[in-house]
Amino acid sequence: MIVCVAVVGHQNNPLYLQSFTEADDALKLHHIVHCSLDVVDERVNNPKKSGPTLNETFLGMLYPTENYKVYGYLTNTKVKFLMVTTDLDVKDADVRSFFRRFHAAYVDAVSNPFHVPGKKITSKAFAERVSGIVKSFGPVTTG
Amino acid sequence: MEYYPEELRTPPISLVSVVGCPELHQTISSFLHAEQPPINTLALPDFSKISVLARKHKDPLASPQPVAGILKRDWLMKHRTRVAAAVAALFRADYVTGDPAQWLQVCTDLENLKAAVHGRSIRLIVILVQTNESDVSEDLKIALRKRAEIDTKYLITFLQNDASELRQSLTRLASIFAELCNTYYREEGRRIRTRIEKRTFNSVELNIRYCFKVAVYAEFRRDWAEALRFYEEAYRALREMIATSTRLPPVQRLVEIKAVAEQLHFKTSTLLLHGGKVVEAIAWFNKHIASYRQLVGSTKNSFLHWDWLSRQFLVFAELLETSTVAIPSTLPSHFGTSENPLTEWEVQPAYYYQLAASYLREKRYCLDSSLSMTDSASANTLGKNPESVLPSVFVGQSARLLEQGDTIEVLPLSDAEYINYAITEAQRFQDSYEIIALFKKAYESFNSLKAPRLASHCSTRMAKEYFIAEDFNNAKLHFDGVSSLYRQEGWVTLLWESLGYLRECSRRFGSVKDFIEYSLEMASLPIFSAGEVETPNSKREYGPAGLPTLSRRESVQNEVFGLLRGENILPLTDGGCSLIITEEQPVRVDVDVISPLRMALLACVAFHDQSVKPGSPTMMTLSLLSQLPCPVEVDRLEIEFNQPKCNFIIVNAVKDLSTAQLDMDSQDVRVENAPSLILPTNKWLRLTYEVKSGQSGKLECLSITAKIGKSFMICCQAESPASMEELPFWKFEDQVETFPTKDPGLTYSGLKVIQVEEPEPQVDLILGASSPALVGETFVVPLTIKSNGHEVYSGELKINLVDARGGGLLMSPREAEPFSSGNHHVELLSISGTGVEDESQTQFDNIRKIQQSFGVVSVPVLRVGDSWSCKLEIKWHRPKSVMLYASLGYSPNSTEAASQRVNIHRSLQIEGKIPISISHCFMMPFRREPLLLSKVKSLPGIEQKVSLALNETSVLIVTAQNCSEVPLRVISLSIRSDGDEDSRACSVQHVGGIPADNAPLVPGEEFKGIFSVTSKVDSPNLEVGSVCLVWKRDLKLGDFEDSGVVTEQKLPSVIVEQPPLIVSFDCPPHAILGVPFLFHIRIHNQTNLLQEIKYSLGDCQSFVFSGPHDNAGFVLPKSEYIMSYKIVPLCSGLQQLPQVSITSVRYSAALNPSAAAATIFVYPSEPEFIVGAKKQETILV
Repeated sequence: MIVCVAVVGHQNNPLYLQSFTEADDALKLHHIVHCSLDVVDERVNNPKKSGPTLNETFLGMLYPTENYKVYGYLTNTKVKFLMVTTDLDVKDADVRSFFRRFHAAYVDAVSNPFHVPGKKITSKAFAERVSGIVKSFGPVTTG
Repeated sequence: MEYYPEELRTPPISLVSVVGCPELHQTISSFLHAEQPPINTLALPDFSKISVLARKHKDPLASPQPVAGILKRDWLMKHRTRVAAAVAALFRADYVTGDPAQWLQVCTDLENLKAAVHGRSIRLIVILVQTNESDVSEDLKIALRKRAEIDTKYLITFLQNDASELRQSLTRLASIFAELCNTYYREEGRRIRTRIEKRTFNSVELNIRYCFKVAVYAEFRRDWAEALRFYEEAYRALREMIATSTRLPPVQRLVEIKAVAEQLHFKTSTLLLHGGKVVEAIAWFNKHIASYRQLVGSTKNSFLHWDWLSRQFLVFAELLETSTVAIPSTLPSHFGTSENPLTEWEVQPAYYYQLAASYLREKRYCLDSSLSMTDSASANTLGKNPESVLPSVFVGQSARLLEQGDTIEVLPLSDAEYINYAITEAQRFQDSYEIIALFKKAYESFNSLKAPRLASHCSTRMAKEYFIAEDFNNAKLHFDGVSSLYRQEGWVTLLWESLGYLRECSRRFGSVKDFIEYSLEMASLPIFSAGEVETPNSKREYGPAGLPTLSRRESVQNEVFGLLRGENILPLTDGGCSLIITEEQPVRVDVDVISPLRMALLACVAFHDQSVKPGSPTMMTLSLLSQLPCPVEVDRLEIEFNQPKCNFIIVNAVKDLSTAQLDMDSQDVRVENAPSLILPTNKWLRLTYEVKSGQSGKLECLSITAKIGKSFMICCQAESPASMEELPFWKFEDQVETFPTKDPGLTYSGLKVIQVEEPEPQVDLILGASSPALVGETFVVPLTIKSNGHEVYSGELKINLVDARGGGLLMSPREAEPFSSGNHHVELLSISGTGVEDESQTQFDNIRKIQQSFGVVSVPVLRVGDSWSCKLEIKWHRPKSVMLYASLGYSPNSTEAASQRVNIHRSLQIEGKIPISISHCFMMPFRREPLLLSKVKSLPGIEQKVSLALNETSVLIVTAQNCSEVPLRVISLSIRSDGDEDSRACSVQHVGGIPADNAPLVPGEEFKGIFSVTSKVDSPNLEVGSVCLVWKRDLKLGDFEDSGVVTEQKLPSVIVEQPPLIVSFDCPPHAILGVPFLFHIRIHNQTNLLQEIKYSLGDCQSFVFSGPHDNAGFVLPKSEYIMSYKIVPLCSGLQQLPQVSITSVRYSAALNPSAAAATIFVYPSEPEFIVGAKKQETILV
């Protein structure tokens, strides 16, 4: 199950951060997402280490914490997507397809002429779409 | 790792035993220990001690006991220190060969030894120690071997006669020991492995124990692969046991299993890491944690689980750290992919350290809740004899020791007793220090790994731990550090949490200012989530800040504004000071452009104009913005400028309580009233006022101080809307953009600075220059300062000369050389005041300063209507066009400060021109032609110097032309020779051509001077001298009547040489028609050689002559050859003489006299000259 998704801007500032848990561990998820940015930096700044494909947007698993795994994605405009999941056995392909759909949703949201680039994404349509994507991620892996 | 016993931490080492001959034990044991692999020695001095090797005798009839545990605590220790793999009996050779009694003793000892090692498969070696040459007979050896029941090779003769023999014996012994050890451990391992394979037992515990033993035996033999296999097998069996075992009460059962699992895991990880398999070790560790993490147990004893888990992480971190050298090379290059699921930090010990600390925190939390649950009564009963609980013989088990008289009985514990025991044990540890130390380790490590966010996460948790331990100084230090990162990256929630702690720290310190600052920052953070129900868990998670909600922000603001209005914040129940603000100690908070408190109050100031005349009013808009969730009411605003006279105060008209107080302290300051000074959330409060400045220069708004309550001030640095930074945090919020001023144009261009112009100068500065300046003269520019409205005080006049074509400097380094008077083409010589002002001027001379292109001179005090003038003397060295800038700065008022100055500027372009051009030419005397060889050889196209004949007199004609536009007067013209030597070499005499003194020279007119030059030295480079022309302007200016300007021009050097031949024509000055005259051609040979010459005389219509047309002749050395012709003129007037041509054969040079030289005037009849009527000029020919 995906517990948190985040969009992080150029100054490493959160543009969108939504958790999908009932328990009030929002702060913990904030910390996890924030700490994962170190790994993003590390992978982006040392492209040699992060694999042969330079134009790869999917950054792979960033950070396994006690109960979560964090995956990362870097768009071509250097906006970072992070996803925190509780599933211990996740297929790369599933994560990739999740990020692709998430990216599409993000592109639609920021293409809104009323959206100012660099500001937080407050669109309700975006939030609904993301929660739909998140929900559809769960059954695929568990079922 | 120190937690584990030594035998577990180090790899096992084979053990052998030696008996007898104690003097050799030291040598043998140290040699064996130094072997590779090392062997430990259990040395027994004599045969009476061999009982240690014996096995404990079990009663064979006793029924097999049920298995009481998994691993015995001392088993490994026993095998490392007491159970030898082989035993060597040492006998002295002389004992064996000695009398029968000794032999008998040897036999008895051997028998005893055999009996002792009987039950075990320990191998026996017999060593005969030989001390001298005496050889032991072969028979005796066989007898001894038979007695000991050993092979031949296990009977060793130990020689020690010399070092090499001793070494040989030791090596032999060591190799036999190594072989026997290997055999022993292999057989022991095999024996137990058969048991496992045959399943001769039915308990899982034994299975695990046997696997462990096999693994240890394999380790003894250094068979790491097998050891690893069996450790893993044991671990697997143990994991299966969790659900099935019922031997112990549930809590202790789990504790035992975890303790064993820990040992097995430790062994496995160590072996993997030593083998360089880092990735496998991490995977194994993750599996280990995954399989045991869920086994928390009941809430009452869950702290045991977290303690255990924390220790797993700590030990693994330490293991990783000790084997870090292997990490970089063996790891795959990229992380987080499907082929390498590891991530960057998982190979770093720091990652495990911080997790160990987290679990230790969890342990402390659970322990605290357990403690609160445990009733004090049971704790007390246990407190009486805590020493009675001891670790039992099995790993991970505890037992109660019961003394009843002399007998000591070991009794099992109930779970409740065990938990009580564990709680008392756990209370003895200071977890906080441990947690802080672990986080610190991780923090430093992440910092050095360039992972600032992970490091600050560790730092946050470390700070929380300090906070819990009530070390508020350290807590504040670390929270401040992480807050700056969160501020920088805009992580609101994380900052909220840190600020909550910081606020609490300042409350504990009793620091009102910090408390207010942190509270204001918290309250102005962009948090909008609606109020959720606060749960105890959220309090634990967010700390003192509470949930980040809008309502919590409001309550934080209300709390702090209550304090500002003079309410008291009561101390908390668990410590801290009471916070209060008194009028005696007002609090002032400063907000600058980088302060996070700009969110709480942002002040920006825009002048409506860019510049203003002094004394005239201008409008300025003051805009205030606050992001605090509740509206803020300000009592008073103080606006401060860099010109204190402009400062003013805005008073909230609604609140009249402070006006009385205001009147007392600020009589001078302007006070404005505003209907209300309430700042709603995220809405600009705009106030527009008039400002008037009487002082020229920059007028800048510095700060706006808002006063709230009687003793609180918040002082904001004023910002310009044009250059204002966006608010931190709020810049990421998707909000409607608001402008600080109503006019959006002013928002983009408004500045907090306005330029107050200078007052208009009421003084005239007149530069009067007549005509173009002439190079060389001292050109005078009269300058007049006339006051017509302002009085001039401390006036200062600056003069600047600048090249009119640009380039600034009035010199070029390339051309600078020839000028002795400096490098400037145009030079400001002096600035002289008028004669009347001379006395007053002396006192200002101290600030008078003149450089070559720049001058400063002070101007005396001038009343209205007065004037002052001076003269600028400028000298041109080269023709150049120059801009003359004069600027006068003065104060119109003697009392005003120096800043209030008025400036006036004038400029004038002046052309510098060359007045006179000088040219010259050399001529030979009339009808006298020396043969100058340098002329003959000269090549065309190359500029040739003028050649002069030695000891001959030449004529120099100097022409000076006035090329300026003004009439000049020539005072004198002369040739000045440059040096003594040259004056002897060449004498120049004035011959004529100069009219009376001060001859006028109108523009374009020429003036000639004639000089005779006689050179006396043969030189290729003779300096003739310089033309020195003294002139002046043809003006009737009184001052400069007598001083002439000297223009000097150097004449080029000439070649002086000895002519070999000189030809002169001798002819009367005039002829008369029909009257014959004589025409001689003289050729003077000046050399010591015979000179052959050819000459010819052409016919012409005007004359008839007698003599040869062509002829040749020889001129003797140093003599003269004369050719004479008698000529009769046939025509009158100016006539050409017959064409003469003379050729020197030796020099291949021909002379054709010039037309002038060959011309003669023929009178028709004898002329009559009137002598004495007019003074005739004599020209020396």
